Amino acid sequence: MSRKWLLPITIMCFIAGFFLTFQLKVMADISTVNPISERNTNLITIINDLEEEIKKQEELIGETRDNLDKIQEEQIKGRLQELQDSLKTAKILAGLTPVAGKGIVITVDDNTEGLKANPNDDPNKYIIHYSQLLNIVSELKVGGAEAISINGQRLITTSEIRCVGNLILINTTRIAPPFEISAIGSPRLLTEIVTASELAIMKLSNYPVDLKEAEELIIPAYKGDLQFKYAQTKGEN
Amino acid sequence: MWILPLLGLLAGAVIGSTLTYEVPPTYIKYMSIAVLASLDSVLGGVRALLKNDFDSTVLLSGFFTNALLAALLAYLGDRLGVDLYLAAVFVFGVRLFQNLANIRHSLLSQLRNNKQVK
Repeated sequence: MSRKWLLPITIMCFIAGFFLTFQLKVMADISTVNPISERNTNLITIINDLEEEIKKQEELIGETRDNLDKIQEEQIKGRLQELQDSLKTAKILAGLTPVAGKGIVITVDDNTEGLKANPNDDPNKYIIHYSQLLNIVSELKVGGAEAISINGQRLITTSEIRCVGNLILINTTRIAPPFEISAIGSPRLLTEIVTASELAIMKLSNYPVDLKEAEELIIPAYKGDLQFKYAQTKGEN
Repeated sequence: MWILPLLGLLAGAVIGSTLTYEVPPTYIKYMSIAVLASLDSVLGGVRALLKNDFDSTVLLSGFFTNALLAALLAYLGDRLGVDLYLAAVFVFGVRLFQNLANIRHSLLSQLRNNKQVK
């Protein structure tokens, strides 16, 4: 018997070995990647891109506002001064300028320790919900807070605090725990009113809660757009 | 003399495991058919060898036509919405067992003949 068969068999063995291990490897990769998570990563990149875009636009708005301020300042002459002052207070009220002053900083976070201790329990009992933030903000407002921000997002009249799955939207920006709520106002008054209800409940439920009084607190300006399509001023004095 | 095919198998395995090429999910079916076709051809070759009717052209052409036909079936199945590639998988699977059975028979009869000669 000649050895003519040796080479073809070897070639076939080579091909078989190649395909076998290659397929094994491909399948091993596949099992770790499922199509849903792949689609999610696509969505995440889209969200990230859009957020980048929003940031750029916000910077543009900020720049334009700065330019406007400069132009307005240049025009300060006599009677205009009065108007400028009222404009300034209006801007502070609208949240369009960064403000500084005394106040408090509240930091709240998900109760991860508690969830770890009871892994079979409903996780909803251990995460921060938007309603808790809403309550704290409302109490701060009752306590006379003049400016409030959460994780650097200034709260203005149109600001929403809204639940989107496991994140919270504020000023259409996604916010994740830990949440740092800064408020400018009388530190004593704010502390008193805040510790009385929602924070007390959260402390009882073992959420990590921290409250600090600050001498010099800076709250950033609202970065988004403000437009009035429907509302018109009427009878202004 | 069985060393060289084994070396070939090993070399193929090494190359296959080091190659990092991402196969699109739609082609994984075709890959699985290729695996079966190549395994079928190897066993078919060994069987033919033991039965002394080995022909290298038959072996290699058999592999390529089988793989091509199977790929065509799979493609047609994709178009028609029928999992026709399962037919190819089934046929290859059956052939694998048949070839294995033939190899076993041949080896056993060879062994018995050798004992009788002794």
